[in-house]
Amino acid sequence: MTPTLMFALAILFLPLLSFAFQIFFGSKIGRAAHWFSLAALGVTLSLALSFFANIFITPGYALLDVSAVWFSSGSFTVELGIYIDNIAAVMLVVVSTISFLVHIYSTEYMRGDPRYTRYFGYLGLFTFSMNGIVLANSLLMMYVFWELVGISSYLLIGFWFEKQSAASAGMKAFLTNRVGDIGMFIGILLLFMQLGTFNIQAIAEQVEFGAFDGTGLLLTIAGIMVFMGAIGKSAQFPLHIWLPDAMEGPTPVSALIHAATMVAAGVYMTVRIFAFLTPAALEFVAVIGGITALMAAIIAITQVDIKRVLAYSTVSQLGYMVMALGVGAFQAGFFHLTTHAMFKACLFLASGSVIHSMHHALHKIDDHSTDPQDMRNMGGLRKKMPITYISMVVASLSISGIPFFTGFLSKDAILAGTLAYYHLHHGWTIFLPISGFGAAIITAFYMFRLIFMTFHGEPARKDIHEHLHETPGAMTTPLIILSVLSLAFVFTIPSTVNPFNSQGWFTSAIHTGENFAGLDMEVVGEALHHAHEPAMMISLTVAALGILAALLFYLFKVVDVEKLTRRVNKLGLYNLSFHKFYIDEIYDAVLYRPFFWYTKVVAKFDWELYDQKFIDWWGWLTLKISDWSGYSDYTWLDQKVVDGFGKATRYFGKELRLSQSGVIQNYILGGVIGILSIFILFQAF
Amino acid sequence: MSNFSSIAFYLPELLLVLTILAVIVVDLIPGLKRFNWIIALAGIVFTGVLLYGDSGVSESLYLGTIASDPFAYFFKWIFLIAGFFTILVSRHTHALRGADLPEYNALLLIVVFGLFLMASATNLVTVYLGMIETVSLPSYVLAGILKNDRKSNEASLKYVIFGAFSSGLMVYGFSWLYGLTGSMSLSGIQQGLAGVQEPLALYMAILLVLAGFGYKISMVPFHFWTPDVYEGSPTPITGFLSVAPKAAGFAILMRFFYSVFTTNSLTTIAGVDWLTLIALLSAVTMTFGNLIALQQENVKRMLAFSSIAHAGYMLMALSILSPDAIKAVMVYLTMYLFMNMGAFFMVIFAENQLNAHTLEDWKGLGRKAPFLGALMVILMMSLTGLPPSAGFVGKLYLFAVVIASKKFYWLAIVGVLNSVVSLFYYFRIVKAMWLFSPADPKPVKADSVIGLSILLFTIPALLLGIYWTPIINLIDKSIGF
Amino acid sequence: MDNLHSYLIISSILFSLGLFGVMTRRNGVAVLMGIELILNAANLNFVAFNRFGGMAELDGQVFGIFIIVLAAAEAAVALAIIINLFKNHETVNIDSADQMKG
Repeated sequence: MTPTLMFALAILFLPLLSFAFQIFFGSKIGRAAHWFSLAALGVTLSLALSFFANIFITPGYALLDVSAVWFSSGSFTVELGIYIDNIAAVMLVVVSTISFLVHIYSTEYMRGDPRYTRYFGYLGLFTFSMNGIVLANSLLMMYVFWELVGISSYLLIGFWFEKQSAASAGMKAFLTNRVGDIGMFIGILLLFMQLGTFNIQAIAEQVEFGAFDGTGLLLTIAGIMVFMGAIGKSAQFPLHIWLPDAMEGPTPVSALIHAATMVAAGVYMTVRIFAFLTPAALEFVAVIGGITALMAAIIAITQVDIKRVLAYSTVSQLGYMVMALGVGAFQAGFFHLTTHAMFKACLFLASGSVIHSMHHALHKIDDHSTDPQDMRNMGGLRKKMPITYISMVVASLSISGIPFFTGFLSKDAILAGTLAYYHLHHGWTIFLPISGFGAAIITAFYMFRLIFMTFHGEPARKDIHEHLHETPGAMTTPLIILSVLSLAFVFTIPSTVNPFNSQGWFTSAIHTGENFAGLDMEVVGEALHHAHEPAMMISLTVAALGILAALLFYLFKVVDVEKLTRRVNKLGLYNLSFHKFYIDEIYDAVLYRPFFWYTKVVAKFDWELYDQKFIDWWGWLTLKISDWSGYSDYTWLDQKVVDGFGKATRYFGKELRLSQSGVIQNYILGGVIGILSIFILFQAF
Repeated sequence: MSNFSSIAFYLPELLLVLTILAVIVVDLIPGLKRFNWIIALAGIVFTGVLLYGDSGVSESLYLGTIASDPFAYFFKWIFLIAGFFTILVSRHTHALRGADLPEYNALLLIVVFGLFLMASATNLVTVYLGMIETVSLPSYVLAGILKNDRKSNEASLKYVIFGAFSSGLMVYGFSWLYGLTGSMSLSGIQQGLAGVQEPLALYMAILLVLAGFGYKISMVPFHFWTPDVYEGSPTPITGFLSVAPKAAGFAILMRFFYSVFTTNSLTTIAGVDWLTLIALLSAVTMTFGNLIALQQENVKRMLAFSSIAHAGYMLMALSILSPDAIKAVMVYLTMYLFMNMGAFFMVIFAENQLNAHTLEDWKGLGRKAPFLGALMVILMMSLTGLPPSAGFVGKLYLFAVVIASKKFYWLAIVGVLNSVVSLFYYFRIVKAMWLFSPADPKPVKADSVIGLSILLFTIPALLLGIYWTPIINLIDKSIGF
Repeated sequence: MDNLHSYLIISSILFSLGLFGVMTRRNGVAVLMGIELILNAANLNFVAFNRFGGMAELDGQVFGIFIIVLAAAEAAVALAIIINLFKNHETVNIDSADQMKG
């Protein structure tokens, strides 16, 4: 075993060790048990950094590529393996840095929780599974860890399972993700059937050498299917509904899992399979990303819960990344993943710091009815919590795309990508730059709306305000670190300190992507180059406009927001945003109710008429149901599907159930009819 | 091998018979009566010891009617484990308190003996003897052991009528098979098949035989008895029936079809593509089981339908009928033994402590017994086939052979979709257990034997999902007929 | 009456009668009788095939004896269960046991 392999295995298994330790010994040791997790994660981080350092020492693509037979079944074998290239090395650092910081932060945030040690155990389990996704060299192994990530996310969202909403949110996240995962699994199987391997590099190679010649339709379908996994995990439209609810989990968890890492796993996976996505599949990817980016941004404008604003902002930014990959701006997509992880984690942890402080203040004045997350109860926090304030402003400037901050570099590259795509394809594709720039202006607006509502102006509640104070060092230190990591020079030094130039170690370490399925990366690169300057101009303008609007609305109050809201709402626009485009309701009306009606109609037919052949058809129908159930809204998914999936299918499967009449002679009749129909059916062939 | 020299290789079965006699005799002696369960368990343990000595043996016994081969050896272990824990757990099942346990234990041991016979039968006579007399007849009685319980009585009635009927069909099919091929032994039948002049009669005969086997493994359309019998029988019996006889059914089905069909490469005997037929039945079986299971409120009945679905999954591999496929079924059966019996033990716990039968009754169970509740989540994960669990590995092997054969892609897709459907009802149980606050939040403690049994079955249900090489090695050695 | 065909025809008539009885009789005992008919049809087949089919050994006849023994055992168990049904339901109609369904 080479040292690099040993390091890689240690990165993978140390967090798991931390999980096992906390589960078995945590409750006996008590609070001090977190030292074990911190140590394990610290070592993981430093090992990840050692791989990262390799980028500078020996620039090459595969730092580690090993595999071993997992199992073999006769004619075929399935291998397990680890593959680390520059992309994986960067991703490892992102995951372990944020995980480590969140561990530190949580020692304070979760203080006094009755399941304190178990919380750290779950964090370890999550980090283990996430690193597994990053290291996996085959789609199958990735899928296994993919599910594990889902489980640990489920455990962490529902960590305070005494709260009904938290438990339901966990279940919703789990089930919604499964819908995407079915697609992913089918896609993996399709690729396997065609190529006989799960190995990502091998698949890319076979595609390069024309394994899918002809139209590539099957490859397009397989690609889209695998991408469905990303739609679920990265909360893309139309499966984005679970992410805002997932905010029920503890805030550090939101920062780690639902902002920086797990939701980025979908994007990471798309980066991995990028080489064999056909132009048609990429077009699909781009459209999904575009819709998500714009829609989620619009929803974020009107939310009042500080965490929900950030949640929709995350959905929107993930949409950016996906769109970037879709338009072929491979490097930009992964760049944004990295920068977003830092500034979004910072935003979440800062909001957690605010919530923590609010919570304590409310506790002091014995107020248990006020929502500590509602921004309408805040205001003027700037002086009380200076560190939190400054780090949040830095992260907000970054996400808004202001020069000197990382967000500017990566977002600008994405916007250039959409513009380039439009130049190449014309027509409807103008939707992509519109969505990109539109979301950019809105992002700047709602982020500064958040800042002004929370930190500026007069305190909304004097009684609470008096008791607010800055959070302890364990919470502010990660904030400071993350806000430093949101500064542009981190990614360009030592090549340049010019804030408008993104050429640095990152751009030289991460290549511009290869595509073997028909996309000409040279043409894309050329177009990107030309789109760069106009994109920068427009993006600077829109960011400034967004911030200016927020200033006018919320800081100087030049415009009466109430009045404007009322006026806008005459067109129903405000409500459209506030009710999240009514997607939950649309699912109810378009999918659930007609389906209910439909099943009632179907229930009128007598199944015996249709005999055995019909059963196949029923099978097909459940396929539909499980698809639909995934696209369904909150209430449907939780109150109706899990509780009432039976209720809905009771209409549907009524006839099947009738076959089990309880009378033994009907059973015998069923058997005889069955055997006779088989006899006749197969005699006919 | 002659009758007399066969005895040397038949010691485990002989010890089992001695144990049965001992349990019956001890039942008659008032002072010793209460020790009968110890004798039964000790008998099983020592049978296991003797069985271990048979490892690697491959002999044809009793003039070629019974085989003591690695294939049977593997299945015998499944029966012993299932039998051992059923007897152990039954003593602690409150519902069985009124029953005559010594008699019950003796009957159960007879079933185990019959299962041994089924797994090693290589002749129509022994198939019939094993399947009908020694497995089915005591099972009918066991299902109805609670004489005054109307449900138990109904279960045994439906069982005996459906069972006797389908075995009647099967034996009629046997008579034609014998007439057409001129032989009783499986190898003789296989040789005789080539010369058969009457394809239609042969077709009907094999179909009737399939009906008999299909009844044993609850394959649609011979599954109808399953839910009613499973629901009405005492729960330890349900758990046992859902695993052991089903495994034996698969053993005999595989032995029969594999010896009769593949070696002759006559997959289209009598002009019929049997493998497509089985593939179709597999799809129908799993879909049917899963769809109806979705709507069940009674947990035991839900698990009954789910066991139909699992039979469907295993049939999937049978439609390939290669050594790999047989291996996959054996892997799945091993995983299924642990996860399914574990789930039924949990049902026993719920019935014992809370008199809980429906999902409504199960609400908040996780909060009242967090440890067992967590174990149940693992078992449900495993039954659904989510990684990392034994069920996932089992399914992986099944899907792997289906896909590798490049024959029934559609079947693999139906299988995957069915697994998704099954998630919904398995997680209804999880949801009932964890997402509701119990009416009475007082924690409940399981009887230590039952709690320990659940734990003992959950550990492999999880562990075999991560490290299953020993099982594969064992099965690799057990593939020889 | 010394060719195989007549025996096979009689046995299939027996089989059909048995099937008919099993499916239509409500009385549990009559259903059992139907099952016996099916078994006897098989039995007749075995013996006839053994006698006329040119088989060297007597295994068909032996199977016949096994079936007779097993049929008796099966009938004993089934009758006991039906008696129990009568105790619980005060009828031997098997469709009175339909509590479990759906």
